[in-house]
Amino acid sequence: MSTSATIAPPAISTEHLTRRFGELVAVQDVNLHVAPGQFFGFLGPNGAGKSTTIKMLTGLLAPSSGRMQILGIDLAQDSVEVKRQIGVVPEGMALFGRLTGSEYLNFVGRMYGLDRTTAAKRTAELLDFMQLVDQPQALVTDYSHGMQKKLALAAAVIHGPKILFLDEPFEGVDAIASNTLKSMLQNMIARGATIFLTSHVLEIVERLCSHVAIIHRGQLVAQGSLEELRAGVEAQAAAALTAAGAPHEIGASAPAPGEKLTLEQIFLRIVGGTRRADQELSWLG
Amino acid sequence: MAGLSFSPLIRGQFSAIARVRWQLFVNSLRTIRGRMEVVARGFMFLGFGMGAIVGSIGLGATAWYFVSSARVDWLPVLLWPVFLFWQLFPVMASAFTENVDSSNLLRFPLTFRSYFLIRIAYGSLDPSTAMGSLWLLGMAIGIAWASPALFLTAAPVLLLFAIFNILLARMLFTWVERWLAQRRSREILGVFFLFVVISFQFIGPLVRHFGNRSQPALSHFVVQALPIERLLPPGVAAQAIAHSLRGEYALALGSFALLCAYALAVLWLLNLRLRAQYRGENLSEAVARTIGPAAKQQIRLGWNIPGVPGPVSAVLEKEIHYLSRSGPTLFTLVMPVVVLLIFRFSPGKTDSAGGLLGHASDLAFPIGAAYTLLILTNLVYNSLGADAAGIQFYFVSPVRFREILMGKNLTHTLVLAVEMLLVWAGASLLYRPPPGEILLTTFTGVFFALVVNLTAGNLLSVYTPKKVDLAALGRQRASQVTALVSLGIQAAVLGLCALAILLARAYHHIWLAAINFVALAAIAIVIYFLVLNRIDAIVLRRREVMIAELCRA
Repeated sequence: MSTSATIAPPAISTEHLTRRFGELVAVQDVNLHVAPGQFFGFLGPNGAGKSTTIKMLTGLLAPSSGRMQILGIDLAQDSVEVKRQIGVVPEGMALFGRLTGSEYLNFVGRMYGLDRTTAAKRTAELLDFMQLVDQPQALVTDYSHGMQKKLALAAAVIHGPKILFLDEPFEGVDAIASNTLKSMLQNMIARGATIFLTSHVLEIVERLCSHVAIIHRGQLVAQGSLEELRAGVEAQAAAALTAAGAPHEIGASAPAPGEKLTLEQIFLRIVGGTRRADQELSWLG
Repeated sequence: MAGLSFSPLIRGQFSAIARVRWQLFVNSLRTIRGRMEVVARGFMFLGFGMGAIVGSIGLGATAWYFVSSARVDWLPVLLWPVFLFWQLFPVMASAFTENVDSSNLLRFPLTFRSYFLIRIAYGSLDPSTAMGSLWLLGMAIGIAWASPALFLTAAPVLLLFAIFNILLARMLFTWVERWLAQRRSREILGVFFLFVVISFQFIGPLVRHFGNRSQPALSHFVVQALPIERLLPPGVAAQAIAHSLRGEYALALGSFALLCAYALAVLWLLNLRLRAQYRGENLSEAVARTIGPAAKQQIRLGWNIPGVPGPVSAVLEKEIHYLSRSGPTLFTLVMPVVVLLIFRFSPGKTDSAGGLLGHASDLAFPIGAAYTLLILTNLVYNSLGADAAGIQFYFVSPVRFREILMGKNLTHTLVLAVEMLLVWAGASLLYRPPPGEILLTTFTGVFFALVVNLTAGNLLSVYTPKKVDLAALGRQRASQVTALVSLGIQAAVLGLCALAILLARAYHHIWLAAINFVALAAIAIVIYFLVLNRIDAIVLRRREVMIAELCRA
C-alpha cells in the first residue's frame, strides 16, 4: 500500500505569504501549516496582520507574493473550488441588510449550490439553532449586533464547509449564544472539519483551540500546539534565568508556582506586551 | 444678566464643539471628494446668497409699495412665502439626508441648558434661517422707507416673527429627527416628501387646466379661509403691522401678544422634545425578543426559474426583495407614468385637449419608454452599490461574478419590461394606444439601448462602484466618472437611434428602424457577452478597491 495515497493534504498551507500596502509590509513571509481537523487559533495584537492574512486565505485580498493552498488546492489556480469547501465569517460579516434572516440564509444556500428544498430545510434548522426565529419579518439591518453575528455564522456553515474561517466570531455575542456557538464549532471539529479562528478573547481560544499561531508586526513568531508553545516559552524563560542568575522581570505574565502558563501569559511573553501600568496614568482613580 | 452668563465648563464645552466642527471640516479637505464637496457647497452658497439678496430687495420693494399705497392688508402675501420656505426647506432637506445623532453630545456632562442652546445654535446658520432673516430685514427696510414711524412697531413684530420661525423650524426639525432616527419611519417620511415634491409639479398644469373656467367654489373657499389665515402666525404678524399703521394700537398689541403666545407654545414643544432627548430616549430599532414560545417559522422555497441556473435565480430573487423594500426606488420607477400625467395636464401650444403631446400622441409611448430606461440606469450603472458590505459574500462564495451580474441584469430587464407595460397602459389610457409600427420600433430601440446600458453598467459597477442605501434619499450621487461615462453612452445611443429612424424615414417606412435596431442589438449582444466573459478577471483585479468602496462605513 502506498503511503502517499493515505496522507491527506494540509487543510491550510501558505508559503512565504506576503502582502504589501505601498511601503507598509502588512504580512511578511508567513508559512502557515494547519492540519485537517485542527481547531486553529490565529492570534496577534491589533494591526499585526491577522485580518490581512484571513482575507488573503479567503480570496478577499490578493497576496503580493507567496502561495496558498486550501485542502491541497491552489487558491490562485482554482478559487471557485476552494470557495466551495470553505465557509467564512469576514470582518464586516458580509450581510445583505435588506433581506430577512430566512431570505438571507436561503440566498446563501442557493449561492453555494444547494437545491431549493435543502436550502430551505437548513435555513429553518439554522434559524432555530441560532435562536433567530422570533422575528421572521425583521430585516437583517434591524438585527442587533449579536444577532447579525449569529446569522453570519449560520450563513458560513449552511453548505457544510470543510474549513471554517472566523474573524472575531464571539465579538458582541452574549454568553448564551456564545455557548451555543462554541458547542456547534466543537461538533464540527468532532466531525472532521477544520476551524481557523482569530479572536482577542484568549480565554476562549485557549479553551477551544488545539493549535495556535501568533503573528506580530506581520511576521509569524510562533506556531504549534498549545503545549509546544508553552514548552517553548518556559524553556526560553529558564534559559534567561540561568543566564542572568536572577528572576527575569515578567510582571503580570508570571504563573503562580506549580501552575501552567496560560495562553495570555504565553502571548504576552511572545509579543513582549507587558505594560508599565504601575508607572503610567498615576492620576487614574 | 446672571441668567445669560456661562460657567467656564459650559464655555469650554461650547468652544470644544465649535473646534471639533472646524476640525471635521478641515479633515474633510484631505480627500479629493471632500474638496469637491466644498467647491459644490461654495456654488450652493452663491446660489443661496443670490436668492437671499434678490429676495430681500424684492420683498422690501413690495412691502414699500404695499405700505405707501395703503395696501398694508396685503402684507400676508409676503409673510406667508417667507414662513413656508423657512419651515419647509429644512424639513425637506433633512428628509433626504442622514442626520447628526444628538446622542453623540449627550454622553458628555452637558447641562440641559447647554444642550438646548447647542441644539438651537446648530440650526441657526442654515440657509433657510439666513435667507428668511434677510428677507424680513428687507421687508423692515421697505416698510421704514414708506413710513418711518411704522418702523418702530414693524421692527419688533418682524423680529418676533423671525424668532418664532427659528424656534418653529428647530421644533419641527427635532420631531422630524425623531422620526428619521428609525429606518422604517425614515423611509415613510422620505416617500411622503417625494410625493409632496411631485405634487408640486402638478400645481402649474392643474391651475392652467382649470384656469379658464369659472371658479365660484375657489372664491368661496378663499373668503372662508381668510379669517383663519388671520389667526395663523404670518397673518397675525401682518395684522399687528396693519393695525399699528391705522393707529389701532390696542389691536396691534393684541396681535403682537398672540404672536408671542405662538412663540412660547413652540418653545414649550421644543423644550418637551429636547428634554426627552436629554433624558436619553431610546429610538433603537433592534428586534425585540418575543415573550413566550416562538412560533415555528415557515421557510419558503427559493424561486425556481426554468432555464435559469440556481445562483442566477437566487440573485434575481434577492434583487427583487431589495427593490420591493425600497420605497424611494419604487417611487422613482413610477415616475414615467407620472411624467405622462404631467404632459397630459400641461396645455399645448394651441391649448389642445391632449395636453403637451396633444398633436403627437403617438410619441407618448416612446417618450415614456425612453424615460423609463433613463431612470433604470441609476440601478444598472451601480448595480453592486446597494449590496454594500454584502459584496464580501460574493467574493467568498463559489459563484462567478458573471452569474451574479447576469442575475442583476435579468432583474433590471424584468423591471424594464414591467415598466414598459405600465407606460404602454398609461399612454393608451391618457392618449391612445400606440400604432403597431411605433410599438415595434420602440420595443426594438429600447432593447438595443438596454443591452448597451447593461454592458456599460456591468463595467461601471465594477470600475466605479459606490455604496448606496436604497432606503435613503439624496446625497447618493453616482461617482463623477460614472456620471460622465453615462452621459457619453446616452448621447451615443441617442445618436444611433436617431440615425436609424432617419434612415427609415428616408425610405418612408418607420418599421425599417426596427430592423436597424435589431441589427444594432445583435452587435450589442455580442459585445455584452464578450464583456461578461471577461468580467471575473476584471473583478479579481479590482476586488480590493470594490471592497474598500462598498464596505465604507
